[in-house]
Amino acid sequence: MSATPSGTVGWARRVVGHTLFWPTAALVALLVACAVASPGFLDITVREGALVGQPIDLLRNSVTPLLLALGMCLVIATGGIDLSVGAVMAISLAVSLTYLDGATDPTNPVTVATAVVLGLVLGVAVGAFNGTLVTVLGVQPFIATMILMVAGRGIAMLITKGQITTVTSPPFKALGAGSVLGLPQAVVIGAVVFALVALVVRRTALGVLLEAIGVNRESARLSGVRARSTTWTVYVLAGVLAALAGIIYGAPTMAADANNIGLFFELNAIVVVVLGGTKLDGGRFYLSGLVVGALLLTTIERAVIIFQLPSTTTNLFKAAVLIALCVAASPRARGWLASRRTASSGPRRPEAAATTTQPSSSPSGASTASSSRASSAPPRPSTTTREVGA
Amino acid sequence: MKLRRLDARYLPVAGTLVTLVVLLVVGQARYSTPRQDFISMKLVSNLLIDNSFLLVLAVGMTFVILAGGIDLSVGAVVALVGLTVAQLFIAGWPAPVVVVAGVLVGTACGTIIGVLVQYFDVQPFIASLAVLFLARGAATVLGTRSLPIDDPTFSALASWSIRFGEGRTSWRITASILIALAVLAIAYLVLHHTRFGRTVYGLGAADRGNAVNLMGLRADRTRVWVYVISGTCAGVAGILFALYTKSGYNLTGVGMELDAIAAVVIGGTLLTGGYGYVLGTGAGVLVYGLIQVLNSREGLESWWTRVAIGAVLLAFVVLQRVIAVRRRPAARAVDAKAPPAPVPAA
Repeated sequence: MSATPSGTVGWARRVVGHTLFWPTAALVALLVACAVASPGFLDITVREGALVGQPIDLLRNSVTPLLLALGMCLVIATGGIDLSVGAVMAISLAVSLTYLDGATDPTNPVTVATAVVLGLVLGVAVGAFNGTLVTVLGVQPFIATMILMVAGRGIAMLITKGQITTVTSPPFKALGAGSVLGLPQAVVIGAVVFALVALVVRRTALGVLLEAIGVNRESARLSGVRARSTTWTVYVLAGVLAALAGIIYGAPTMAADANNIGLFFELNAIVVVVLGGTKLDGGRFYLSGLVVGALLLTTIERAVIIFQLPSTTTNLFKAAVLIALCVAASPRARGWLASRRTASSGPRRPEAAATTTQPSSSPSGASTASSSRASSAPPRPSTTTREVGA
Repeated sequence: MKLRRLDARYLPVAGTLVTLVVLLVVGQARYSTPRQDFISMKLVSNLLIDNSFLLVLAVGMTFVILAGGIDLSVGAVVALVGLTVAQLFIAGWPAPVVVVAGVLVGTACGTIIGVLVQYFDVQPFIASLAVLFLARGAATVLGTRSLPIDDPTFSALASWSIRFGEGRTSWRITASILIALAVLAIAYLVLHHTRFGRTVYGLGAADRGNAVNLMGLRADRTRVWVYVISGTCAGVAGILFALYTKSGYNLTGVGMELDAIAAVVIGGTLLTGGYGYVLGTGAGVLVYGLIQVLNSREGLESWWTRVAIGAVLLAFVVLQRVIAVRRRPAARAVDAKAPPAPVPAA
């Protein structure tokens, strides 16, 4: 692309072209719409040393999807998926609360810490199970994780003996409902965890390695990336983050309802990842997008209530958003868009097309497919259809 | 060496039959009484009555998995069809129209997945996951309580049966059994005796259906059709499930997709596609049903079934991988995304 745009036009184009432009714009628009529909929506007040208001609520509610999406995003970067996160939430909460229930003094901070650690250790175990299936046995990621997506709730029911375990423990409750320095404790935990993961992934080579694995596992392995252990670690991380999300989500009510905690939260996590600009094909991911995506998802949930739509439609909206985003990201839709743009407004940045290009280790079919994909708008060759396990 | 290959080819189905026999022997040993054998026509008839909807689901799923895809939406579609049917009866529609409309709801869901997969290049599990939530969401909009179905025609269909034998050993054939077996028979004919069936196998066999295309078979069209078939089967299964429970409820069928996939995998179809038998799927459904029967006879809580199904699926998936790795050492390198890097032989 020869004509590099400059000046204000170029700046505007860079902003609009940024991955996070549309999600952020949607978030702002939705918040404004909510504020118009419900005056006082954006007000924040201080009550008993803690900030109170709808925006703070939105922040707190965003923590669970953010933590889930954080693990999911890294798994997706390697070209996999983790469908078990919702069930893992249920299991970890069941373990923590069952331990607290059996403890002599559930208010003791040490007991609470042990309960939390137990829940997290369980997340490690579950993640290790998924990771082993995917990396050692080579089972397709969605089948490997679907086993626990469905059987996991059965396991959680075994742990709680089919009951809804409820306990009373103020320190445990504080994990989800308490506040630190005026901010909800959950938000602080979420921010710290997010920062830690972001630091490790983006300040070391790990992120690049994950993307290399996602683009082509075999060529990454041949280039010296320890694809197997890295992928395994990512599933473990996703398991721990899901366990943490379960504890934070369930802490305010302190009730382990194995059948309903985290039901459909896989959807939330995947929607957040896609909203944040990460494509589901793997090989490229944006962590900052997850924050915007999680806030956007939570705001959509809230907006449904504010606009007085039946709350039962929420999942319908989310699924529609997911489908729309998948379609918008598809080569065919991009092709249409590209041909219309090139026809009307001259050259466009090659970025969008370039992201679909995949380095291929083989000189056959795949490379011709990707190069024809990168050109403006050819009818997509059917060879690029990505079928499972093919 | 040749013998060994033969073994590997039939190992999945052999595994199915061994599992079936083991479960039957365990059942016979533990639950037979002097007056009544565990293994009987009554058992078979009950298995089919209780799992007719699952059989139909699994048959549809077989098409998709053979073609190298996956359909995670079927459980949600069953719930959506059940509620659609219930609401239409409440609205006073005649039974035949309601039944057709219910099946078409399933067809529509499958079509969405097929179009997303084929024309918008969405991975099958994401496309079907999106439709899972779409269908579940739509079902929730239609109603969050269990809606009873008390249409006289529908009830008559649900209770229609032919009875054989007398007393304890009597068994029966119901409309659901006939429908489910008919679906299985049609699927068998289509998959093993038509050009379409060969195309389905070809799609899943290798290189994303390229070879099939070069042979002049319509790979793209077929790929959409397998999802349409799976959705339609889910629609039929939704009707059968409504006949079975005589109600519609938005949380039915949670995890039914795992049951269907498990039945297909236990039945010897390779998850990577291109290899399997639809009649094996029928055996897989019987294994699934027997696990449930043994579970309840042992007096265990129902969620043990979930765990057991997960464990059995795990065992069969591992078995498949072992076979695959043995057959093609390069298969180890295959993952869900990238084609195996061909090592040039210099």
